[in-house]
Amino acid sequence: MPLSTSSSDLHQTSLKQAQSDRPGFVRQTASDRPGVAQPVPERYIPEQPWGMVWLVAIALFISAMTGWELYWREFGAKPSYANSNGSWAEQRARIDNGEGNHLVLVGSSRTLFDIQLPIWEKSTGERPIQLALEGTSGINLMEDLADDPNFTGRLIVGVAPQLFFSGFAFRASAIKNYHHQGPSQRVGQWLSQHLIEPYFAFYDPDFALGTIVKRQNWPTRPGVPVRLDVRKLSVSEADRNTHMWNKVENDIEYRDLTRRIWSQSFTGPPPPALSTPEKVHQLVEQQISRAVAAVTKLHAHGAQVIFLRLPSIDDYYAHENRVFPRADTWDVLLQRTHTRGIHFEDYPQLNGYVLPEWSHVTFADSVKLTAELAPIAELEFSASQSTSRK
Amino acid sequence: MVFNSVTFVVFFISVLILHSLPFPWTVKKFNLLLVSYLFYAAWNPPFIALLWISTVVDWYAAQALVKAETTSMRRLWMLISVVANLGMLSYFKYGNFALENFSLMMAGLGIPYQAPHFDIVLPVGISFYTFATMSYTLDIYLRRAKPANNFLDYALFVTFFPHLVAGPIMRPTELVPQFAEPRRATGDMIRFGLALITLGMFQKIVLADTFLSPATEAIYDSSKIAGALDAWVATLAFSGQIFCDFAGYSTTAIGVAMCLGFAMPDNFRFPYAAVGFTDFWRRWHITLSAWLRDYVYIPLGGNRHGEAHAYFALMLTMLLGGLWHGASWTFVIWGGMHGCYLIIERRLRSSFSDIQVNRFAMVLLGLLTFAMINITWVFFRSKTFSGARRIVGGMFGLNADSAPILSTMRLVTVSCIVGGLLLAHWQLRNRSLEQLVAKTPRLLLSLVLGAMLFAIVIAQGEGNAFIYFQF
Repeated sequence: MPLSTSSSDLHQTSLKQAQSDRPGFVRQTASDRPGVAQPVPERYIPEQPWGMVWLVAIALFISAMTGWELYWREFGAKPSYANSNGSWAEQRARIDNGEGNHLVLVGSSRTLFDIQLPIWEKSTGERPIQLALEGTSGINLMEDLADDPNFTGRLIVGVAPQLFFSGFAFRASAIKNYHHQGPSQRVGQWLSQHLIEPYFAFYDPDFALGTIVKRQNWPTRPGVPVRLDVRKLSVSEADRNTHMWNKVENDIEYRDLTRRIWSQSFTGPPPPALSTPEKVHQLVEQQISRAVAAVTKLHAHGAQVIFLRLPSIDDYYAHENRVFPRADTWDVLLQRTHTRGIHFEDYPQLNGYVLPEWSHVTFADSVKLTAELAPIAELEFSASQSTSRK
Repeated sequence: MVFNSVTFVVFFISVLILHSLPFPWTVKKFNLLLVSYLFYAAWNPPFIALLWISTVVDWYAAQALVKAETTSMRRLWMLISVVANLGMLSYFKYGNFALENFSLMMAGLGIPYQAPHFDIVLPVGISFYTFATMSYTLDIYLRRAKPANNFLDYALFVTFFPHLVAGPIMRPTELVPQFAEPRRATGDMIRFGLALITLGMFQKIVLADTFLSPATEAIYDSSKIAGALDAWVATLAFSGQIFCDFAGYSTTAIGVAMCLGFAMPDNFRFPYAAVGFTDFWRRWHITLSAWLRDYVYIPLGGNRHGEAHAYFALMLTMLLGGLWHGASWTFVIWGGMHGCYLIIERRLRSSFSDIQVNRFAMVLLGLLTFAMINITWVFFRSKTFSGARRIVGGMFGLNADSAPILSTMRLVTVSCIVGGLLLAHWQLRNRSLEQLVAKTPRLLLSLVLGAMLFAIVIAQGEGNAFIYFQF
């Protein structure tokens, strides 16, 4: 049936009729009519029992979706909030919307998984704003806040040596997204948090179609390095309070897979930027200089900063110490930025936790770790303030 | 807002409900105008002002043009419209580009000059709606169309959200008459419209974003040197990506308009089954190529002043068409390559007009056309000439020592999708999608629709903007 060309009457002409009117029918377009006024377009509705077609299609869709959701729940996933750029932007916006004097956490996944916001709140009376981004150097986040005069609060910067001193920023897009997002994206984030995320376990980047197809056991192409991508490790709440996914803690096979994923960085040739000790030194210098500049700006608008090195163990710890030894990195960072820091090695109460995949503590231990860490951080901030007064 | 977002789903359902309420037709049109502004404002509210300027300037220019009593006055009002629209487009899209090139020119002349860099944000869809509003004044100037009866119909023609930001570029004669009398979509129109939306979203979210884009990015956004296989596969991936992205948008737009009771023109007609470049441009981004033909190529003289003049007009049109896509010389080269292809094809056609081509030769010529179009895509996709040179070098075997880059998974998925796309285009090259759908068994149709919906949801797209938004 065509949509009428000039009147509102929608004539019920079938496609078959149109074809018999014009044998070999191919609908004309503007390309067939040079230099004339283009008429109202013709559109035909193919002859089909569309109601029934859609009914069956939707039944199939719902069945497939039900199976898909059940499969991922069986795998161990539960509905949770997405650790998306939109969710990060929502927390970041709090600083620009009147909460600029609050305590903010930046850093990478250790700061994100290992610190439990409700425990911190219970200990100090203040629930921090969680802005850490996995796989991302805290320097990028410091720089973002350093450029924002609205931020006048206290800042804890997580230092995971491999990321912080290399400047690697897997989630840098989150920062850019915050500064460029429009009303549509903010509404989309709200809708996603209220209509989708709390109800569906399958809604996780680790379970997305492209990710699943990619991680199948494809034959290797000679010469192309095989690299396992990082899998789902955590579960988040609406305000990005995050903890380790219990599958990493309880499923030995999954835990070993995670260890193998980390091990890829420990074995084999280093990336070109870290291929010689000189290059490592140069890269570390660059990052420390960035940190110095950011801290200076933060101090200038009244913000307080402390650095935080959370625990790692076994192969991960050994690798970090080999490539980024404390004396050449952490110690220099504190000295050059004139900033106080908390290194887990210096506090017995920050040691002895269970880190199933060598890099992050279990959910239960993150509760204990936070309870120990919060008072230490408060003391360091107080000491930092009194030092700056002098 | 982008079509591939939860925000749009909620917006569209709300619009469908609002449009079905028993309001008078004028109120319904007013509602459509308001929601179209809302749709546009969802990106960046201040840019609505530009949309208004373009709308109002052309409305008054067209009114004055009709009342003008002399040819010179008619021309003056037409020029006011063209200058206002192109001026706005030039400032926002080509401002920095022009300044950079001016600096380079000065440096070439030995005059040191550092042009200031303005932080200009490109308003989304400006290239599309300025062309739509210009066609309104130009059609009236060329006496092809009469002015709209009222401002509401005209403003809705410019702003109607399905075509506003990425086309199809509508002409006033295609859309304004549809606002004259009440229109209401039938149940089947809504259901087929939803099927088109599903197809468009599948192309965008599943094929373009999930499977094709990563292969393109791995080569085009990397400093690694690609060998022949990687360079070809990445370029084929981009050819599939840009088609699925842009044709997906157009199909969705047509479906959205259909659900509201309006008809929009085809923008693509299975372009990768084109045999020759004239054929390609009658199948690819039809509403732009027809716009350039009607308002640039023909006014430049077209083929009315001899062969050499026709080639000049054709080349200029294609260069401008290239520049329309973006403020970069790589786009101009892309347009220039198509101009050269078209000129060579015309020469060959006139020299070998008596040769009959059988079906096998048609297929070979079609594949040759596709391969040559892929070479132009390199310049379209690369951000720099050195990047383009690297990829073209790879495609022609000049990077023989390079290490392989793309994984087996990327090679297989790109080959399957682009191969499937080519096959589908050849199967449908002389038919329409509607003909195919009409002949498809209903159960298979349900299965395909259900599978596409399932794939769209589990792909978990991140609301990536359509490629053509940046133009």
